[in-house]
Amino acid sequence: MRWLALALFLLAAPSANAAEEERSELAALLDADNEAFPRATEPRPFVFPDDHGPHPEYRNEWWYVTGNLEAASGRRFGFELTIFRFALAPGIEASPSAWRSNQVYIAHLAVTDPGDERFVVAEKYSRGALGLAGAQASPFAVWIDDWSIRARDPAGERERWQLLAETAEIGLDLELDAQKAPVLNGDDGLSQKSPEPGNASYYYSITRLATAGELRLGDETFRVTGTSWLDREWSSSALGQEQTGWDWFALQLGDGSELMFYNLRLRDGTSDANSAGTYVRPDGEAIHVRRDDVTLTVLDTWDSPEGGTYPARWRIAVPAAGIDVEVTPVMPDQELFTTVRYWEGAVDVSGTVSGRAADGVGYVELTGYAESPE
Amino acid sequence: MSDSETPAIRLERLSKTYREGERQHRVLADVDLEIPRGATIAIRGRSGSGKSTLLNLVGGIDIPDSGTVVVNGTNVTALDERRRTLFRREHLGFVYQAFNLIPTLTVADNVRLVLELNGVPESAASERIDSLLEAVGLGDRHASLPDVLSGGEQQRVAIARALAHRPSVVLADEPTGNLDDDAAESVLALLDRLVRQHGGTMLIATHSQRVAEFCDTTLFLSGGHIERAPGKT
Amino acid sequence: MPVILKASLGFLWRHPWQLFLATLGVCIGVAVIVAVDLANASSRIAFLQSLESITGDATHQVVGGPAGIDESLYVDLRRNRGIDSIAPVVESDALIGERSFTLLGADLFAEQALRDYEFATAEADVDANGRSVFTAFLVTPGSVVMSEQTAADLGLDVGSGFELTVSGRRQAATLVGTFADGGTLAGYILADIATAQEWLDQPGRLTRIDVRLDEDEVAAFRAALPDDVRLLDAEGRTRSTLEMSDAFMVNLNAMSLLALLVGLFLIYNSASFSVLQRRPLLGILRALGVTRGQAFVLIIGEAAVLGLVAGALGVLLGIWLGERLLFFVTQSINDLYFRVAVTSVTISQFTLVKGLAAGFIASIVAAAVPAIEAAASPPRLAMARSALEKETGVAVPRIAVAGIAVLALAFLTLVLSETSLIAGLVAVFLLILGFAMTIPWIVLRLTRVLAPLARFAGGVPARLAVVDIGTSLSRTGVAIVALAVAVSATIGVSVMVDSFRGSVQAWLERTLSADIYFGLPGGGLDAGLVDAATALPGVSAYSTTRRALLPAADSSTRVIAIRMAPDGYAGIDILDADPDSVWPAWEAGNAVLVSEPYAYRNRVGPGDTLTLPTDRGPVDFDVLASFQSYDVNGSGVMMSRRTYDRLWDDSRVDSIGLYLADGASVAGVVADVEALGGRYEQDVFVSSNADIRDLSLSIFDRTFIVTNILYWLAVGVAIVGILGSMLALQLERGRELGLLRALGMTPGQLGGHIAFQTGTIGAISGIAAIPLGIAMAWVLIDVINRRAFGWQIAMDVTPGFVIAGLGLAIGSALVAGAYPAWRAARTQPALAMREE
Repeated sequence: MRWLALALFLLAAPSANAAEEERSELAALLDADNEAFPRATEPRPFVFPDDHGPHPEYRNEWWYVTGNLEAASGRRFGFELTIFRFALAPGIEASPSAWRSNQVYIAHLAVTDPGDERFVVAEKYSRGALGLAGAQASPFAVWIDDWSIRARDPAGERERWQLLAETAEIGLDLELDAQKAPVLNGDDGLSQKSPEPGNASYYYSITRLATAGELRLGDETFRVTGTSWLDREWSSSALGQEQTGWDWFALQLGDGSELMFYNLRLRDGTSDANSAGTYVRPDGEAIHVRRDDVTLTVLDTWDSPEGGTYPARWRIAVPAAGIDVEVTPVMPDQELFTTVRYWEGAVDVSGTVSGRAADGVGYVELTGYAESPE
Repeated sequence: MSDSETPAIRLERLSKTYREGERQHRVLADVDLEIPRGATIAIRGRSGSGKSTLLNLVGGIDIPDSGTVVVNGTNVTALDERRRTLFRREHLGFVYQAFNLIPTLTVADNVRLVLELNGVPESAASERIDSLLEAVGLGDRHASLPDVLSGGEQQRVAIARALAHRPSVVLADEPTGNLDDDAAESVLALLDRLVRQHGGTMLIATHSQRVAEFCDTTLFLSGGHIERAPGKT
Repeated sequence: MPVILKASLGFLWRHPWQLFLATLGVCIGVAVIVAVDLANASSRIAFLQSLESITGDATHQVVGGPAGIDESLYVDLRRNRGIDSIAPVVESDALIGERSFTLLGADLFAEQALRDYEFATAEADVDANGRSVFTAFLVTPGSVVMSEQTAADLGLDVGSGFELTVSGRRQAATLVGTFADGGTLAGYILADIATAQEWLDQPGRLTRIDVRLDEDEVAAFRAALPDDVRLLDAEGRTRSTLEMSDAFMVNLNAMSLLALLVGLFLIYNSASFSVLQRRPLLGILRALGVTRGQAFVLIIGEAAVLGLVAGALGVLLGIWLGERLLFFVTQSINDLYFRVAVTSVTISQFTLVKGLAAGFIASIVAAAVPAIEAAASPPRLAMARSALEKETGVAVPRIAVAGIAVLALAFLTLVLSETSLIAGLVAVFLLILGFAMTIPWIVLRLTRVLAPLARFAGGVPARLAVVDIGTSLSRTGVAIVALAVAVSATIGVSVMVDSFRGSVQAWLERTLSADIYFGLPGGGLDAGLVDAATALPGVSAYSTTRRALLPAADSSTRVIAIRMAPDGYAGIDILDADPDSVWPAWEAGNAVLVSEPYAYRNRVGPGDTLTLPTDRGPVDFDVLASFQSYDVNGSGVMMSRRTYDRLWDDSRVDSIGLYLADGASVAGVVADVEALGGRYEQDVFVSSNADIRDLSLSIFDRTFIVTNILYWLAVGVAIVGILGSMLALQLERGRELGLLRALGMTPGQLGGHIAFQTGTIGAISGIAAIPLGIAMAWVLIDVINRRAFGWQIAMDVTPGFVIAGLGLAIGSALVAGAYPAWRAARTQPALAMREE
């Protein structure tokens, strides 16, 4: 659930103006070319591993991996590696130059180190050409420069992937093993974002990936283990006019179940009726969650030193699933100043499922609370 | 023009005014004057009374506002600049208070300059320079530059220069003004002798009584008018 | 106002001409300094700024052979070596109409790490296809971005389509956006790297990879590169590009210094004049009790005010003039060295301060000597002229002796400094200075020789006119020196340019041995076109040329790879070896010829070995001999095409020389080649032997436009000086002139007398200028040009230039004397004698 990415693409252009302005202009812009891009209008069959690969005919797509890790010493970490893909135009003219491409890739890498109150971010851009950046289904891989997520065992039944990312400050070398099959969000994978037909995406998640490997922060390298989450989404649409942002929750609960919920916020501060989520039982069964199934209460806020106020603690109750939990960021400042400004961070979950303690971890994404950097 | 009845100099209603900023200073006002040939006339007056102006007008090196200057029967004021100059170099000789020798020319060349301007042939000129310098007592100073001479000597060169081309009228403006008494005496005597020798007419502007005594007539210039004064005639 | 000041100023006001000329003299002197400085600095700064914005944060460049580098290296660096502070660049020359630009093919994503372009166009603006600027730039072939100013100059709006010629092929381009760069990128056209590769028809090749490296990363990065590419320091490359034009700029600066020197003479002249003329006044003031200090301060203060006011006016005039000169300077740089688009004069404070200081300091220094003298002189009503002249008379021989010492120093500087250009220029100025110091003495001598002659020919007045020149040296000396220096500069520069042109012409005639040449300015002739053209009926033989720049850390080497036609060998003038033994060796192995400038600059000659970076790694070449070349861009090494093909993977050809069979029509074959160009869709440049020679010479002439303008300005300054001197001299002589009139000189005679005098002054200046002019020509040719460019020019003194110099001197003096003559003739003698 990351409409953000569209604006992000736009702002990846060489000079950026105020994000708010951009978004509304973007909406107009999208309409112009939109007819030529296929829209997500009805459910489609999902086939794996094929659908792990790219869907370049759609305007935008992403591979979103977030996870909570722990070193042997008990030190906590959170990480995010997201690779976005955008199609700048519905097609591209044939060219003798390998650089001619309509595909653009952007990646965000972030590591949260609450012990040191550190939050380290890096960003990359590339065109999907010459193998500089790209994605493929078989064997599965998505990469930009030397950051990549790729299959370790293409033939295996479950997803067994390797995630690699290096910067001067961060090094990630993680093995991700899916504990559950992909779940289709929304209506069999068709996730409606606003009432307008086609304003929807294809959306699936792997909600629990056992994770192990190495995490380097500066000169320090840690052996880590933990759980990760994969979000996969592609579409050709953008936020509706009245939508200002969203709050996205991906919670991995102690009882082996997971809850995903996105709250689309309207200009008047209320929640859009298209807000929705998915509850995945410990056995992997997915249950669609509608807005009205969820009670979302903000318990605390955090003022960004750069301006803007984010919600910082929530109570989430889904009575139908017996969930009643409190969600608390592991540290307040997990704000990304990439070309688009947003908050994406590791959270602790405490509370109960059906009355039994089910403390867990998760990731939250908050957008539209602050102006993007110039 | 050598008609002996023609006066050497005749001035008719001669006027000259100088402008000094806003004020006008009338130095000559309708001056009428006749000077017979061979006369030696002193013009006296206070400083600024117009003595030099009168001489300049007679000499044609200045132009009157109105009136005429007739020298040897020629109306000088009616001539154009060039003809007036040609007339001047033939008929007039000048002696100045400040000598006005050309410092970069030798004594002989200062004299020769006038002769050359009058087109006197080289051989005749040399002869005349020799006799003139002899006459003014500087026969041995041909090659000297003026600034090594004394004031009296310089003025004698100037006299030789003024008389070199045998002008019929000699105009002398305070010729002794820069000289001490002895030198003045000898210069005056020299001038008087040489001018009278060839029958020239001489007009001397001066404020000195001693100079006036050398002259036939003394005129007083005051308030732009000429008054004939009693004196030796 | 204190009366003392009033008395002094009153004098100036009563001599407005004097004041005007003094101001004008300082003003022009300062203006020339400022103008040349601004024009030079502006083109340099424009180049640096555009290069800086193009270099961005890049510290290094990865470069390959003439054919560039394989783009797979770039992918490898990013994907497998994890280096992301790199950006690929495809660069080429491009033409829009007659204007040439640098086409920069870039990947905007990679650019983010190195460069920050400011776009004037909002990226959300939508084009006809509903695409944003950014999208169109990346997705629509032919999309380009250029400087706002360039777009305005070309009359292009965002969205307009236009034609652009790359590699001789016309391409359809669309302006999708503009830079808000303030003109620093005026010489660049930015396109997506894909568009650039498409236009250049070089898929898979990059011109270079720009890299941002920390110092400690360099060694490791370099070590990991393959053999056929090299890592170069970006700053070093900028430096070596600029170095190409250094000699040109140094020569221009030398010309501006010459104008400054003449200007300084003039300033000195004007200032010392106004003091000299007031000697009587100062004498009176001193007699009345004005102290020496007060007198000194009065004069110096006045000079300071004059220097400041005139200097400020000069700076303004200089800015105006600089804008005019800039066009010619940049044109020459573009003709000869590198692309630079200068949209405005960069006014550096340093230049302005320098100009102001020159005017101010020169005025004060110039006034100081007479001020000290006047203040030191005993109070009396007036100082005898002759006494003053006597002092001058004593000083003149002393100054002349000092001048000869300076000349000796100039000679010593030349002998000891070997190849230093700066030392060469210093020697030129010592030469001028030393010679200038002897000029008053020469004048004195000449007037003494001429005086009897004049007397013989024109009598006492003629002698008087000549003698007065010598005796009034305190007034005329400096003006004569200034005029002589300016005239000698015209002689020196004319002889140098003419000799140079003659040498170039002879060289062109010899070198251009083919009948027809065709090619593309940036290279890249279509292979099919080459085959077809060389097979045309009437063509009996052909040569091919490929020029490639091999960038290196310190200075780049240009390689000229030639496939010689049988008749072509004779066109190369081998300077230091036997051609019969040179050519077979040149064709056979790893051997090169070096151009004369290259040999001079790099101190290589026959028997030496040269190591060049090839696509097979560094290779040693035997230097066989050096050859004559006046080609600014041809300064490099010449090798056989066979050798080149063996060591570099570059099949491109820049130009072809066609040798025609007897009886074949030049015009006919030219038309055939042009038709072939049309068939292969390449705008080839076809011209006959004669045309290309004419074109070369016209570029040559263009290069010297600024030089010409500058020396004419120096002459103008000198004329102003001589006018002032003449005016003052004749004013000073007023009493004497009045006396001459009183003694019977007619106005016409007096006018003639003055004209004779001023003409004589001109003639003396002119005569004095001849030996200096020829000496200057010799130094410019054998020292300055040799040291700056490394080429040897056969000096050829055309008598016409010497006569013209003499005529110029006499003419300027006569022109300068005209007004004083007219004025003196018109004044009533009585009035003239009353003055002073």
